[in-house]
Amino acid sequence: MPKQGNKKITFPSLVFAITSLVLIASLTACKPKRNSARIIVGSTGKITSLDPAQANTFQTLQLLRALGDPLYKLDNNGNLSPVLASGLPQISNKGLTVSIPLRKDVLFHDGTIFDAYAMAFSLKRFTRIGTLNYILGGRIASIETPEKYLLRLRLNRPSSSLQGLLTSINLTPVSPKAYADHENNFLNKRFVGTGAYKLSNFQVQKQRLEPFEEYWGETSKNKGIDYINLSNSTALFGAMRTGEVDVLISNSLDEDQKLALNNMKIQGKLKEGVGPALEIGYITLLTNKYPFNQKRLRKALSLSLNRDLISKRVSYGLRKPLRSIIPPTLKGGKDNTWPSYNPIEANKLYESAGFCQGKQLSIQLTFRSNVPADKLFALTWQSQIKQDLNSCLKLSLNGVESTTVYRQLGEGAFQAVILDWRGAYPDPEAYLYPLLSCRQAKGSICESGEAAISGSFWTDKAMESSLRLGDQLLGQQRFKKLLSIEKKAAEGSAYLPVWIVRPKAWAQLHISTPEFDSSGKLLLSRLRVLR
Amino acid sequence: MSRGKELLRYTATRLALTPIMLWLIASMVFLLLRVAPGDPVDAVLGSRASDIARTALRARLGLDQPLLTQYLVFLKKLCQGDLGQGLISEEPVSKIISQALPATIELSLSALIISILIGFAVGFSGIARPQGKVDFWGRIYGISTYAIPPFWAAILIQLFFAVKLGWLPVGGRFPPGLIAPQVSGYLILDSFLTGNLTALQGALRHLLLPASTLGILLSGIFSRALRLNLEKTLQSDHVEAARSRGISERQVILKHALPNALLPILTILGITIASLIGGVLLIEITFSWPGIALRLQEAINQRDYPVVQGIVVVIASLVVLISLAIDLVVAAIDPRVRY
Repeated sequence: MPKQGNKKITFPSLVFAITSLVLIASLTACKPKRNSARIIVGSTGKITSLDPAQANTFQTLQLLRALGDPLYKLDNNGNLSPVLASGLPQISNKGLTVSIPLRKDVLFHDGTIFDAYAMAFSLKRFTRIGTLNYILGGRIASIETPEKYLLRLRLNRPSSSLQGLLTSINLTPVSPKAYADHENNFLNKRFVGTGAYKLSNFQVQKQRLEPFEEYWGETSKNKGIDYINLSNSTALFGAMRTGEVDVLISNSLDEDQKLALNNMKIQGKLKEGVGPALEIGYITLLTNKYPFNQKRLRKALSLSLNRDLISKRVSYGLRKPLRSIIPPTLKGGKDNTWPSYNPIEANKLYESAGFCQGKQLSIQLTFRSNVPADKLFALTWQSQIKQDLNSCLKLSLNGVESTTVYRQLGEGAFQAVILDWRGAYPDPEAYLYPLLSCRQAKGSICESGEAAISGSFWTDKAMESSLRLGDQLLGQQRFKKLLSIEKKAAEGSAYLPVWIVRPKAWAQLHISTPEFDSSGKLLLSRLRVLR
Repeated sequence: MSRGKELLRYTATRLALTPIMLWLIASMVFLLLRVAPGDPVDAVLGSRASDIARTALRARLGLDQPLLTQYLVFLKKLCQGDLGQGLISEEPVSKIISQALPATIELSLSALIISILIGFAVGFSGIARPQGKVDFWGRIYGISTYAIPPFWAAILIQLFFAVKLGWLPVGGRFPPGLIAPQVSGYLILDSFLTGNLTALQGALRHLLLPASTLGILLSGIFSRALRLNLEKTLQSDHVEAARSRGISERQVILKHALPNALLPILTILGITIASLIGGVLLIEITFSWPGIALRLQEAINQRDYPVVQGIVVVIASLVVLISLAIDLVVAAIDPRVRY
């Protein structure tokens, strides 16, 4: 046996421990100097493609907003205001022709000139390969360039929503020279547009933006942006707490971390900017199969949802309860279209359908397992139902990873599923059309079209014609029509709006307060270092 | 047959079996990906793309071909060393792997060094005073590192050292405000090669927390293995014989007992290295470490078939080769091993 108390053997362990401590202490004490003139902006989720024809995630659209410009934007009053256009669109020929005058002082990041040809090139490219099919929705018959700085769109039908559509950053122009080899396929890791920043380096986890010196508009107030994407919310939250990140965007952050940042703002430790509430959370019900082919059961479920309680439990009240699918912040939006929580009425409806008398209606609620708020929502609603309507209804939960959810949604795989939606442009149509439009219907079942893709398969006999009519009306008449469409949707109860989310951004005290535009994108060029 | 010839025959057999193993693995991955729910066309275009765009992309990716045709094309390309092109990024898979693998190797090697140093220190301390307090706590430490779920330990360490104390960065591989030196993809090595001390400091600071976490979690294997093997060896006849010749206890342990005790640890080391290459996923996710495991997870989520297939084949090849190398090293240094 070895001798007891052999100090020669333990000595190396002691040396090792001391050396390790010294090494760790020296590394932790010495933070490498960073270029304080640049601003580090953090967000969760990776950016795999910067092609505007493919972009559909919040963080990609956010970055595109800094690198490119839309034709128009909506001002604070919801009115159209030119950006790359030099004036408002001129509508003629009974609403079938839209002429857009363009600015003459705009250059692309590669030094080439922005003109009508470049804009037409970008729009045609989007029409051919763009992934957000509903944005153009077969409205545009042809794109013409009668003059160097005049773009003309010939429409298949008059479209009042076209103006909102022209504010979409997905339709930002790209340089025809830089995209010559990518007319029919995506260019993922480069972007050559007209924005206040140009992209100097692209990695999946980090993008480096430099101010574009020849930018036509308001130049950047900082010396550049390092846009980083971390893979989890905790890492990002920690990076903000420790000052590694200057500005943090709220998308995909866990709710308790949002609350902690909110509290830090109240304590004066951070600055906070808030954008318009444009992201809705909702439940889609499968209406072409039992049990939700019965309208009264859909209505009963709609009355069983205690939005106020769920909002408080899941998001500490940060996600506002929502009873409409058009965000109330948009022109024409109202937040009282869907019925409020009413367990007594719900109970009556379940009873009339033959439940509650020792027979529970069993429903499977699917949530995206990689979205923490969805899971919390599902668990909270399950508990609420158990407490309030246990004799009538039972929710069983089914967590599915989001890629699979989106793949199987159009196949009618989910009885009830929690999803979210942000319109590509701030207009009611960008919310109604993707959920309600239907190309081919049989009775109240949509066989193909957006309603089928959305997983509800629900339609109403006059729904498509109402949507088309709404697209042709203007002003108050249009908003009235859109509201009547929303009321029909509420009556059908195929979708149950749950909450609405406002984008937020937090900044360290040495950075200016973050500002958002009307489409909910953080204005990176307005961020500046104060010291 | 002489031992040298036996070893040669064993090596040749293992090498000959390697392509068969890789073929089996590649075929399984190919089939499993295609029976799993989810469609790469949806991942690339989203569910709202037009039917024309979907059909065109399906044709361009070869997904409109019968499964057997797709499989034969995949195998043919694989035999030519062509791993294909990523569906999302449209980059060659070999490039995607070559960008992500150095991050994982850097993290794994650092973690392995830390785990060996801690594991051996704890193991030696225990054997120096068997049944003493240090030995007792060393054994508790060893068992605890087995028992603690890696993601939980990683989050705790991250919260305490990075978020609460703010000593080290929370995640990532390099300070976001700096431009990383780009020579070989190994940032620490590249920082040395370019003489960039700021980059070196930044890279080390980012590496320290994930590598220490992984190292600590792995160190229990080494401390327990060393402790047990050394204890067993110290009771063997040749050690007793050495003691009876009056050799000091330090010499007995280091020269007579340790080499024998290390042989099983070498095998454990091999298995650990092999498992680390693809198995650091939870650490990579927690610390946003842009390694091969994180890339694999993303590719699975995106249904990026070529990237998943490519990464699995490369990881499998490395595992097979490392296991073979370790087997050969053990066989070469231990005359008792027969094949």
